[in-house]
Amino acid sequence: MVPNRAVASRASFPSRLLMTWLVAGFLLSLVVMASLLCGAGPVSPGDAFAALLGNGPDNAHFVVTELRGPRTMIGLVTGLALGLAGALLQSMTRNPLAEPGLLGVSAGSGFAVALAILFGASNATLTTFVAQLGALAGCALVIAATRVQGLGNDPVRLILAGATLSGLLLALTSMLMLMDQRAADEIRFWITGSIAGKPLTLLSSTLPAIAVGLLIIAMVARPLAAMALGEKAAVGLGHHPGRIRFLITLSVALLVGSATALAGPLIFVGLVVPFIARAFAGPDIRKTLWLCLPIGPAVVLGADVLSRLIAAPSELPLGVVTALIGAPALLAIVRAGRMPSL
Amino acid sequence: MLLALTDKRTGLANGFLLLALVAASLSSMSLGTISVAPLDVLGSLLGKADPMTDFVVKELRGSRILAGLLSGAALAVAGCLMQTLARNRLATPGIIGIDNAATAFAVASVVGIGLSLAPSAMALAGAAAATSLAFGLAGANGTRGYRFIVAGIGIGAIAGAATQVMLSRVAIDAANAAYPWTVGSLNARSGHSVVILSIGLVLAAILLAIINRGLNTLQFSDAVAIALGTRLRAIRILGLGLSVLLTGLAVSVCGPVGLVALLAPELARTLCRPGKVPLLASGLAGATFMVLADLLGRTLFSPLEIPVGIITAIVGSPYLLWILLKPSNRSLT
Repeated sequence: MVPNRAVASRASFPSRLLMTWLVAGFLLSLVVMASLLCGAGPVSPGDAFAALLGNGPDNAHFVVTELRGPRTMIGLVTGLALGLAGALLQSMTRNPLAEPGLLGVSAGSGFAVALAILFGASNATLTTFVAQLGALAGCALVIAATRVQGLGNDPVRLILAGATLSGLLLALTSMLMLMDQRAADEIRFWITGSIAGKPLTLLSSTLPAIAVGLLIIAMVARPLAAMALGEKAAVGLGHHPGRIRFLITLSVALLVGSATALAGPLIFVGLVVPFIARAFAGPDIRKTLWLCLPIGPAVVLGADVLSRLIAAPSELPLGVVTALIGAPALLAIVRAGRMPSL
Repeated sequence: MLLALTDKRTGLANGFLLLALVAASLSSMSLGTISVAPLDVLGSLLGKADPMTDFVVKELRGSRILAGLLSGAALAVAGCLMQTLARNRLATPGIIGIDNAATAFAVASVVGIGLSLAPSAMALAGAAAATSLAFGLAGANGTRGYRFIVAGIGIGAIAGAATQVMLSRVAIDAANAAYPWTVGSLNARSGHSVVILSIGLVLAAILLAIINRGLNTLQFSDAVAIALGTRLRAIRILGLGLSVLLTGLAVSVCGPVGLVALLAPELARTLCRPGKVPLLASGLAGATFMVLADLLGRTLFSPLEIPVGIITAIVGSPYLLWILLKPSNRSLT
């Protein structure tokens, strides 16, 4: 495809993309069904299905509506936020490995939450806000780092810096955990990365931020596609790169902060989802973003279903499963010969 | 090594580092929850002190400091070797995931999954597996910068996740026993693995003294090194093998205290005469780092003890970030 034609034309919804989108949506609905029907506990899928239809044993009804329902919803929102944030960050830094988890945005958010818990915060709204603030600080650091001369063009140095920053923040978080036993238990609940047993009130407290993040994406998708041609071209087309960058940073921070508040730091989701989406959508960021909408939730929920089934009757932390899926994907991207550039 | 001592600047640097190591060890023996006066420490070491002081200095602190000293030296030498072989100052065992893999295997042995081998053997197996994986995926002998490092990050992440899986699947007692390995701490050491580590260090010192000259020529291009009569292949394989051996054995003692392998050779290179591979100085610097970090961890928030891995991460990460973010740095990848 000729890139500047793609920018000049309005963001249309070509039939091929529509097909891919429908397939991905179908897959997502399958994963949602699996998430509602399968679990580590003794409730059989058949009972769970009956409970969904309104009959079936009481315990199945409880498990499906009170435990798996909220969990599935939280997984959906988390996946959506992380997938979109990854795509945005990668497009803006022109670095296919720029992923909120790898770059330390999630770790920043987790560290901020740990600090807040240490100082006695336990209100869901407050931790959400703090997680977003931490993510914003992490994002700002990443953007500042990409402005350092030479680093923006060097994906490996950038993610190595991110990995180092994550390591530093994790070490500081562990230190906070040593300080205070009560806080340590709560923080541990956060930093393992899981969507099990989180209350729905947590979800409602993050929804406004996610809505704002989505709104910003709707606003900047076109200018961002123009920026893929280079900053000069974007300026020539009447966009303001600085303003766009600021808006995207804000949006990534809101999305990652909310996702971290919901599920704890989940690394590699923001890498895998845009990678799959880009494989089908091609270089246009708008199409990639559209495809991230169904793929992100499908990846997170799929990983969550796996986390329940691998070690049944106990469960694995979701963050472990995403790492086990995502790290081979990272290796595959690197192995695929020349580092793909954006 | 003798040759290194004849060079004035390197000799001075080694002397200074040795002095620092001795000072660090002595202060680590005297400071802690129970303070022992420096003179009493000396008395105890000379065999003239009351049993109580003797117990604290020798049994409690002495063995701990010895473990830290040996593992720090092993990690630093391994790091310096790998940096030289890969011609990349970021290519240290910690960054390419060897630490994490060795930890995963050691944890597997502690929680009793798979073969019930000693942690040392398992950690070695893990280190070897990670190294061959990293080199295999990078598709070259490690001199191809970026792929090597990204492959290492991926391997490290997989190994970390595998450790988590094992810890979450076993009984809480076994998980607690294995926990120190996941953060890097001198609490989990066993006398057995310390002995194996010291044997490994002696072996490595002998072999390194033999291939020292070859390693020095590796700082030139391959063509120059060959012209100088270096058997590149043999040196690479031997050096890499030693690096893996030292890392694996050190991890079986103290867990993944990764950044020592990066920081100590940096310091050694700054102090020593340029043009040589400062293996001895790296080892001394690594040992000093480890002893100091452990001392800090024990005394900073006493009676709370902070694992040495957390201290080195907090101290070392900003430095690594500075290396990475410094503009106009071409020697990295």
